[in-house]
Amino acid sequence: MFEDVNTSPSLEGDMSIPGRRTATTTSQNGVPNYNTLDEPIRETVLRDIRAVGVKFYHVLYPKEKSSLLRDWDLWGPLVLCTFMATILQGSSSADSMSDNGPEFAQVFVIVWIGAAIVTLNSKLLGGNISFFQSVCVLGYCLTPVALALIICRVILLSWQTRFLFFLRLVTTTLGFAWATYASFIFLGQSQPPHRKPLAVYPIFLFFFIISWLVLSHN
Amino acid sequence: METPTADDLLQFRDYSATNNNGAPAQINVNSPTHATNAGNNNFNNAQQQRQRGDPLSNLIYDMSNSAQSMVAAAGAPDAPLDGTGAATAGGARLSFLTIEYYQQFFNVDTYMVLERIVNSMIPKRAAANYLRMNIGENPDLYGPFWITTTLIFSIAISGNIANYFQMANDSYQWHYNFHLVSYAATCIFLYANILPAVLWALFKYSLKPVDQADAMETDNASYTPSLLSLMCVYGYSLAIYIPVSILWMINISLLQWLLVITAAMLSGTVLIAVLTPALRNSQYSLFLIVGILAAHVVLAAGFLLYFFHSPAATLSDMKMYPPLPPLRDAAQLPHANQTG
Repeated sequence: MFEDVNTSPSLEGDMSIPGRRTATTTSQNGVPNYNTLDEPIRETVLRDIRAVGVKFYHVLYPKEKSSLLRDWDLWGPLVLCTFMATILQGSSSADSMSDNGPEFAQVFVIVWIGAAIVTLNSKLLGGNISFFQSVCVLGYCLTPVALALIICRVILLSWQTRFLFFLRLVTTTLGFAWATYASFIFLGQSQPPHRKPLAVYPIFLFFFIISWLVLSHN
Repeated sequence: METPTADDLLQFRDYSATNNNGAPAQINVNSPTHATNAGNNNFNNAQQQRQRGDPLSNLIYDMSNSAQSMVAAAGAPDAPLDGTGAATAGGARLSFLTIEYYQQFFNVDTYMVLERIVNSMIPKRAAANYLRMNIGENPDLYGPFWITTTLIFSIAISGNIANYFQMANDSYQWHYNFHLVSYAATCIFLYANILPAVLWALFKYSLKPVDQADAMETDNASYTPSLLSLMCVYGYSLAIYIPVSILWMINISLLQWLLVITAAMLSGTVLIAVLTPALRNSQYSLFLIVGILAAHVVLAAGFLLYFFHSPAATLSDMKMYPPLPPLRDAAQLPHANQTG
């Protein structure tokens, strides 16, 4: 029966239509038609990882507008959010009196609930974008902030001076501006023009708060 | 209701362009007697005429569905109920589970939000019928929600920075206090939600008794704002504290208290001025005015005392450690860190 389908030219043309949607994710590796049943698990996993990696690349180099919106996934946001929450959580050391950093769950909730609220806001303002697309974009746009966090973490290894604090400030500001700009590129088109500032302001606030957490982490 | 001034007409024009409700605008402008409860009356009239089968109103009804739903949104708060009133009145069209139901509370433009923010800061800027014609017609939750959220984080962040300025130097490992966010969120959300509800209930229960004969007309002429409108007004009234909370980082207690009084007075005056139509209806208007102003001042003072260092605390610190100049040489006194 499968041979029939594969050999019949007309049906083959039909088969390629549902395949095209997923093929766009992996247009980079040039495999338009694949069968997830037959291939090794390693390839399936690698293909998904590659799709996530391509999205990271698009956030860091925000030129193509619709690349993140076509196929959303939440793997990247999950990884980024878990990573940032792990780094940012206040240490429960003996010096707990003075360390009042956020808990793991607080960072986690701020990122996810924040993204959900920002998305809901743009939906309520009449934006034409699906819920998870927007959450996906906001999550992936955390990448510059997460990079800034890594750099800050490295800077924090040495003895702190005012210059190093200034360096951290610059790094975080760059990450914040980058993230806001990227998400504006991806999400800015979904709003009617007279409401664009209303939709962009919550995004700005969202990244500002997370950047603040990154900057004040020590 | 007095005849509309040129200001009113101009102002209403602005909003009718954005609001999409052209029909009530005309009626309001042409016959001021109807303008007293514009949304409600027009909405009911439209429905009655529609039931009667008036072809013209049928045509209007069919052609302007969005305008009708706008009037429904604006007319529901005019009914003597709150959000539940809006739910029952709007429920005929939209289930409260759909996102379209909530979109009517976010039906604002950038210009409108900026206008309302500015109106909440500068006294005498809003027209006398601002509450009914502007807020009551289209109460939005966009401004209140994002203003309170911004205020929460701006207070938490500048509280931390003020703390940093007071104790930081090269040798002191400064730790930020994330819990300020939780405290600020609790207190601001309580203020922005509980107080309008209390005020709304007080307005309801302290309505002036009226004569039986002209009860109907007086009821129509009076304007008691809906819960949604009150929440909208209160949310916007908090906007002035956002720049103030940033300025509070400057550690001069005289300046800080001056800011408290200025901000609370500015937005408190606006609150009173905007709520005047409702206060006039109340038996305890004086008591309510004092209560509104006092709550506003107490909120500002509480922000300053709790999230920024109170002058009393720094004074006592200086008494305990007389040689301690507050900003420069804290490093030489290791126990200063423990007190903070």
